[in-house]
Amino acid sequence: MITGMERLLAAVNGKKSDRVPVFCNLFDQGALELGVSLEEYYQRGDLVAEAQIKMRARYGYDNVWSLFYVGKEAELMGCKEILFAKDGPPNVKDFVVKEFGDIEKLVIPDDITAHPAFEEQAKCLKILKQELGGRYPICAYLTGSMTLPVLLMGMEKWMELLFWGPPELKNLLLEKTSDFFRKEIAAFRSLGADILLYSNPYGSMDVIPENFFHQESMVWMKRDLEPGGMAGVVYYCGMARLNGAIPSVIKELGIGTYYLSPFDDLAQGLELVGPQRLSCGVINDIPLIDWSKEEIRSEVKRMMEIGRRSPRFLFGTGVMPLYIPQENILTMLEAAYEYGRF
Amino acid sequence: MATNGSPEIVGVTEAFYQAVFDTDRNRAFAVVQQALDQGISAEELVFSAVIPSMDRMIKAVSEDFNASLAQHFMTAQIASQVTDLLLSKFSQKPAVLGRVVIGTAFGDLHTLGKRIVIGCLKSLMVEVTDLGVNVSPEKFVDEAQARGAGVIAISAMMVHTARGEQGALAVRELLAQRGVEDRIKLVVGGAPFRFDPELYKVVRADAWADDGISAGRVITRFLQGEVL
Ligand code: B12
Repeated sequence: MITGMERLLAAVNGKKSDRVPVFCNLFDQGALELGVSLEEYYQRGDLVAEAQIKMRARYGYDNVWSLFYVGKEAELMGCKEILFAKDGPPNVKDFVVKEFGDIEKLVIPDDITAHPAFEEQAKCLKILKQELGGRYPICAYLTGSMTLPVLLMGMEKWMELLFWGPPELKNLLLEKTSDFFRKEIAAFRSLGADILLYSNPYGSMDVIPENFFHQESMVWMKRDLEPGGMAGVVYYCGMARLNGAIPSVIKELGIGTYYLSPFDDLAQGLELVGPQRLSCGVINDIPLIDWSKEEIRSEVKRMMEIGRRSPRFLFGTGVMPLYIPQENILTMLEAAYEYGRF
Repeated sequence: MATNGSPEIVGVTEAFYQAVFDTDRNRAFAVVQQALDQGISAEELVFSAVIPSMDRMIKAVSEDFNASLAQHFMTAQIASQVTDLLLSKFSQKPAVLGRVVIGTAFGDLHTLGKRIVIGCLKSLMVEVTDLGVNVSPEKFVDEAQARGAGVIAISAMMVHTARGEQGALAVRELLAQRGVEDRIKLVVGGAPFRFDPELYKVVRADAWADDGISAGRVITRFLQGEVL
């Protein structure tokens, strides 16, 4: 039977497999799958791996995740408290940088893989690699240096420092988060993650003005990514729009895969990415909670019709909310398998 | 108090709007300071420069100006900081357009959206009480009643805090139980509402807004008694 990796590799090489590869991002749903609370679930890498494997097998999509929740990165930099919910993703509660003075004290661990907060993630990745390695792409989530400060100090304080604060302090923090990023991406590469989602809403002109993107964001993105190279790297702006950024990112960074935004025009996105690179068309998964079967099917059909015009196309989701009924997940996936058939 | 403006104020208004548009805080403050030095009153500055500039920003954003989040943030900050400065110089306590209580939904710790909305409302002469983060439905309604607020504004960044049992839905329930629905309107906003423009109806809010600057328009309309 054809595997997710074979489908992905076919798309990477501009060849046709049986259908368009489908990336479905289920995180919190893993706790439901195993019948445990979210808080218990996220304490254990073996549970996360087990649920990722089970959900992939049951639904038949093409990827699995080593990500628990985004706040994990803050834990690696010293965050001590995470707020768990019963019906949604965990969130950073304790900010490591409470005042600007804390930036100097911020320590980036030399070896992040030795950090206790990494242990369960490493365990999860190891199990995924053993069970699915080479057959299903394993995704890792890595927040870019310009976005990481949000997890350390909140977006409000970071916006202030970024635009109005002392430049030395801003640069000091960015150097530290960029160092962290380089270590993190190297760690995930060495542990065998296949896809490295570079998550950086500050690489979207929805979040920052265009001139700032060229003058500042680009500089830090280069610093983050150039040492390790672009292999496996996917450009993603947290679902914020990115079409406007694509030409510069191609030219200056040379990233080969783009996780588009549902707020952008898909056909335009494909054109900007071009036939030589991989585009992922991303469904707006929040209305999936309430959409009827017909609405879901017609949206997937619309996207596939546009996407299949490109030789290198994937279908993907955002951070699928736990509120989406299982039935609707199934409807979306069945439609994607059907309309994505070659 | 002059509202249509002396010849001097027209130039000040234009210069202030340009500074806000360019998110240049120093220039915005310099324009205001210069006007004060020229003898233009704080009252006239607020009503003839700050508020019309915010109205113009609202119009620009609703028409075609594609402002980034950083621009919304900086506009809101500049306008509200200038308003704070000017209010401290008012000769009499100013009349407010109305009162609003705002907070992030229960379980939600994301404050930036709320801060932007507060900034815009303040510069439109709305009295805003910030209830902070992770606010329970009871607190929203108790505080709104205690302060005579015409609008409860709730910000939520995630689906579960937007739709959850302790969010806007519970606030609506309390408003109904206490029989104050005609006096207190419920306005919501934040990422999930932008991804699903119909979501405000699911959580039984009266309205929502796509961004901070438009939030100013939606909320002030309610405060002025308009039915949307
Ligand atoms: C930037 C971003 C991030 C950043 C920073 C987030 C932060 N603020 O802390 C990072 C990369 C760290 C991140 C992480 C996560 N994120 Co995020 N993120 C985004 C993104 C791109 C923008 C959100 C944001 O901060 N905007 C800034 C604020 C100011 O904008 P806003 O909330 O929309 O507010 C504006 C308007 O909505 C309005 N408004 C706001 N409040 C109010 C109130 C009223 C009354 C009114 C009228 C108007 C109004 O005015 C504001 C200004 O214009 C969105 C996608 C998107 N395009 O919106 C996803 C998004 C919000 N994230 C999402 C998720 C799930 C997460 C995580 C929970 C993922 C995880 N599993 O760990 C983590 C949480 C991290 C944590 N805090 O611990 C989801 C939420 C939906 C869902 N599935 O529940 C989104 C929608 C992405 C998606 N579709 O999958 N994220």
